[in-house]
Amino acid sequence: MIGTWIALRKAGLLGINERNLRLVNDLNPRRLMRLVNDKTETKRLAIEAGIPTPELYGLIRNPLDMRNLEKLLDKPDGCVIKPANGSQGNGIQVILGPMRGGWRRSNGQRALFEDLKFHVNNILSGMYSLSGQPDVAMIEYRVKFDEVFDPISFGGVPDIRIIVLRGIPFVAMVRLPTAESDGKANLHKGGVGVGLDLVSGRTMHGMQNGKTTEIHPDTANPLSNFNVPHWDAMLLMAAKAYDVTGLGYLGADIVLDKGKGPLLLELNARPGLAIQIANRMGIRPLVNAALEANIDGLDAEGRVELAKKLYRQHVPEKVIA
Amino acid sequence: MTSTFHTRLLALVLTVIALTIFGIKVFQYNYPLTPGTQTTTWDFEIYLDFDTANQPVRIETFIPSNSDTRRVSQEQYYNGAFGLRLESDDENGRKAIWTYRYPNDRKVLRYRARLEGETQRSPLPAEMHRPADREPPASLNDLERQAFLVWSSDMRRRSADDDSLAELILQEIFVQKDADEIEALLPVLPPPLDRLTLAAEALQSQGIRARVANGVYLDEARRRTEVQHWLEYHVDGRDKRYFIGPDPKEFFTVWYGTEEMIRADGVFDFEPQISIQPIDSSASDVVRKAARDARTPVELFSFDRLPVTTQLVYQVLITIPAGIVLLVFMRQFIGIETLGTFMPILIGIAFRETALLNGLILFTMLVALGLAMRFYLEKLRLLLVPRLAVVLIFIVICMAVIAQVMNGANMRMGLSISLFPMVILTMTIERMSIMWEEYSAEDAIKAGAGSMLVASLSYLVMTNKHIEYLLFNFPELLLILMALCLLMGKYTGLRLSEIFRFRELAKQAEK
Repeated sequence: MIGTWIALRKAGLLGINERNLRLVNDLNPRRLMRLVNDKTETKRLAIEAGIPTPELYGLIRNPLDMRNLEKLLDKPDGCVIKPANGSQGNGIQVILGPMRGGWRRSNGQRALFEDLKFHVNNILSGMYSLSGQPDVAMIEYRVKFDEVFDPISFGGVPDIRIIVLRGIPFVAMVRLPTAESDGKANLHKGGVGVGLDLVSGRTMHGMQNGKTTEIHPDTANPLSNFNVPHWDAMLLMAAKAYDVTGLGYLGADIVLDKGKGPLLLELNARPGLAIQIANRMGIRPLVNAALEANIDGLDAEGRVELAKKLYRQHVPEKVIA
Repeated sequence: MTSTFHTRLLALVLTVIALTIFGIKVFQYNYPLTPGTQTTTWDFEIYLDFDTANQPVRIETFIPSNSDTRRVSQEQYYNGAFGLRLESDDENGRKAIWTYRYPNDRKVLRYRARLEGETQRSPLPAEMHRPADREPPASLNDLERQAFLVWSSDMRRRSADDDSLAELILQEIFVQKDADEIEALLPVLPPPLDRLTLAAEALQSQGIRARVANGVYLDEARRRTEVQHWLEYHVDGRDKRYFIGPDPKEFFTVWYGTEEMIRADGVFDFEPQISIQPIDSSASDVVRKAARDARTPVELFSFDRLPVTTQLVYQVLITIPAGIVLLVFMRQFIGIETLGTFMPILIGIAFRETALLNGLILFTMLVALGLAMRFYLEKLRLLLVPRLAVVLIFIVICMAVIAQVMNGANMRMGLSISLFPMVILTMTIERMSIMWEEYSAEDAIKAGAGSMLVASLSYLVMTNKHIEYLLFNFPELLLILMALCLLMGKYTGLRLSEIFRFRELAKQAEK
């Protein structure tokens, strides 16, 4: 065990304690957290800064708004119901479109209006919000994801997570849904995480449930050597997220829509550490480099350039190979 | 890194302050570092709490008295504005009488003393050694007197000597309770005083000196103890006591006769409370010495001057920080998942009432039942708060049923369950069921088991005799616990659980 510990120290692994103390506590002032905890607020900021996001159809703020629910859900292309203050993808319902007597859910089952109403009620009563506070339900555009990841995903929306430190993107992965994760691109629920080369946006190695893997468990296709389209646009969106929120340490979750290109789904002020397994490297060297880097006078484009330079400098060859 | 330096400095300062006070207490005043084994000294307190309404108040209470056979020391009276008079007579004992003509508001009176416990072997006071004058009780009418004489001479006939006569009388009165002639002879007094009085009178009539004694049993620390009654008699040159029920290991006689202990006039909402608490005798000697040395600064950090009832509360409270430190360690260094931040500590405190094994069984059982209920309710699609309320009511019902079932098998367990905090149970169930749905059954059970583990460990720490003794007698050690938490708050290393979580990465790095 001590051997493992020494090896992990050497690999530059960043633990939860260190993340909380050095990154979250030091770089993310509590008063700014509200901006990313509340997804309606994030969306507003993103739109102001010209970062594309899925279109918001409407909000259900209280039981009175409930009478609008049926109208909001009535979209031929479907929609997504999510809690504005949810965390880790909890409480999100994806509706593919209307079907006889109700709506079709992403897993193909039929949902009755009553079921959806109950779900929205649960959201309002705060069941999914961070501290059980009453919440607001958002109804928004359902992303029609690009086929690029079809060979390595199973029923659901893959998304791209880029972690940004002081506006410098420094590590990224793509999260793929699996049968186990019930179509959700959530690593806690059994989704697959695949590390990305930050410079090119090419997939490298994968992980599932904390274990390394090289193939997708459902499709059995190798995970490596896919190129994420619009990669530079995505890096730029992530870098800009720092400018609009002021959070020094954040994770940007981006999805790739077939027609609209990359869309910012949400921002996370406490991005997790499993990304280290997906990338097969500890991130402390990158974290230290980004903390020390001089970003004076650099705009988002400048910081993306800097990010690529730092990545090439600090990431060992064998990881990228 | 200035904040790190600041934290370390603060931790250092706190530790130095704590160790200084600790050192002064240990080296200068010779406070013992471990609880002694002898606990023959007891803190005894009568606490009278009442409302007054501008009319004269008179409160009488029997208090322990010093004699050649009993030792009472360090008596303290807290009178407030009341006048205090002490009155004692050989027959009944010593009384404190508090009076006040025009009181208003709520008032508190207190009497406190240190007692040394008596046992069955302790001698009776000298007056019990005088022979009794053989006379039937004066309170009886002619008819009853006749019946009494018939009954007592029957007893006399059936016995060989005074010793067996006494045994027989007690047997007749306390064991074969259904005898009609006994029922007829009983004086009008609340039980068990009626039978005790009859027994004392019967023994006296046969020339055996006997009387009813009243006092408290000294068995364990109690915030509210009951007054107990027993019989003491002197037969064939030997001192004896007869207790209803099993003999107590230690007790203390406060007064004699059938009078009530406390009598109050002109008060409302009267709440007398008698509390007892064992004191380590060697420690108490030291504390006594320190108290005599005028007001020393270290005394500010002692709970010894508080009323005994409050002291008992603090004895529980003061151990909680030890449990908290353990919890912080388990979370920051080991990385154990728990339900809620301080929930395990609350569960650990609840275990105090039930003892560890019973507590674990009860808790697991109730959570399992509650979870089953919660999953059933999921089907009914209720709103959050009403759903929580339904689960809570269900838990109360389960607890009532369990208490009923347990009552037959194990009385103590049945009683203790009623104090098990059900709000904690309800929140645990809700958290666990959400985790169950959102993540997996495995995660939920893992977090539940983690909570139980931390709760059990914190219970063991919080009830550890040495830790309790140290923290209670040296509260300055809390500063050291605080310093420990400060330092742990700056720990940026890996958690034990992370070594397992990222072990694949270690393999990768070694390649």
